[in-house]
Amino acid sequence: MAETTATTVIGRATLVRGRVTGMGDLEIAGHVEGEIACSGEALVDTSGLVAANINARRIVVRGAVKGDLIADEFVHIEAGAKVVGNLRAARIAIALGGLVRGQVQTTAPAVARPAARTATASAPLRAPNTLIAATAAPAAAREARAAAAAPAPAKAAPAPHIPSAAPVVAPRLVSAPVVAARQVVGQATQGAQATQGAQDAKTGRDSMPFGALQGSRRVPPPPVVPVLKKGTKAVQKKR
Amino acid sequence: MASTVIGAGITIEGEITSDEDVVVQGTFRGKLVAKDAVTIEQGAMVEADIASGPVAISGGVTGNILSTDRVDLQTGARVIGNVKATRITIADGAQFKGNVDMDV
Repeated sequence: MAETTATTVIGRATLVRGRVTGMGDLEIAGHVEGEIACSGEALVDTSGLVAANINARRIVVRGAVKGDLIADEFVHIEAGAKVVGNLRAARIAIALGGLVRGQVQTTAPAVARPAARTATASAPLRAPNTLIAATAAPAAAREARAAAAAPAPAKAAPAPHIPSAAPVVAPRLVSAPVVAARQVVGQATQGAQATQGAQDAKTGRDSMPFGALQGSRRVPPPPVVPVLKKGTKAVQKKR
Repeated sequence: MASTVIGAGITIEGEITSDEDVVVQGTFRGKLVAKDAVTIEQGAMVEADIASGPVAISGGVTGNILSTDRVDLQTGARVIGNVKATRITIADGAQFKGNVDMDV
C-alpha cells in the first residue's frame, strides 16, 4: 500500500491521453499520449507505449517512446527499448539491444547551454579571419596587376594561372621594367608549353588544344564528355 | 494485480481509457472511462465524468458518474454531480449534491 501511494502506475490496458504531471514516481505499462513531467523516476515498462515528451529526474525505458526524454540525473535505455526522440541528461546509458533514433546530449541542461553558446560564438570569429586571409591574396595580386596594367595590354596572363606565384611576381614587376618582366614570364610559360609539346610529340598526343588553352585561360576547360543530346549515344551504339 | 494507479502528488489532465481497475489518489481532470472498478481514495481530487464498472469513492469528485454496476459513496466522500447506477450506497458522513438515477 505504501508503495502504491509513492508510485503512479499506468496499467497495460490503460490509455491516457493528456498531461501527466506532478511529484512522485511513474510506471507506465500502458499507452500515454501527451506530455509527461514528474519529479521522480519515470519507468516505461516493456509493454509501455508512450507518445509524449518525458521530463523527469530519472528515466528508464524498456518499452517504446516517441518523444524527447529529458532527465536531470540519467536516462537509461534498456535492451528491447525503442526510442524515437532526443535524449538529454547528465548521464545516458543505452544498453545493447536498445534502439534510439535522435539526438543524444549527455550534459546537464544548465551546463550545456553556455557551452553551445561559446561554440557558436567562436565559429563566426573564425570565419572572418579566413575571409581576411582570402581577401588579402587577391588584394596583393590586384596591386601587382594595377602596377603592370599601365603599359601592357590588359592580359595579365600568368597571375590567375598560379595564384601562389602572384605575390612573388609582384616585387619583380615593381623593381624591373614591367614589359621585360612580363616577357620573361611569358617566355617561361612558352618554354613550358614547348617542353610539354615536345613530350606530347614523343608520346604521340597532339598538344595543340592544351597549349592554346593555356595561353587564354579565361575560357573554361572543355567538357570531358562530348556534349551529345540525350539518346544520341544509344543511337550511335545501335549503329 | 497491477492496475492503473494515479498516485498522490500526480496530476493527470486529459482522458483515461482503461480495461482494468483504476485507483485515483492524486488529481485528475478530464474524462475517465474504465471497464472495471474505479476507486477514488481519500485525498484525491477528481474533476471528471466517470463511466465504469463499480465505483467506490472516499475522495472528492466533481462530475457525473455512470456505472454499470454499483456506486459506493463512502465516509469522507464529497461528490458533486449526477450519479446513474443500478445500485447506490451513501455512507454516513458522505457529502453528496446531485441527482440519483437508478433506472438503468
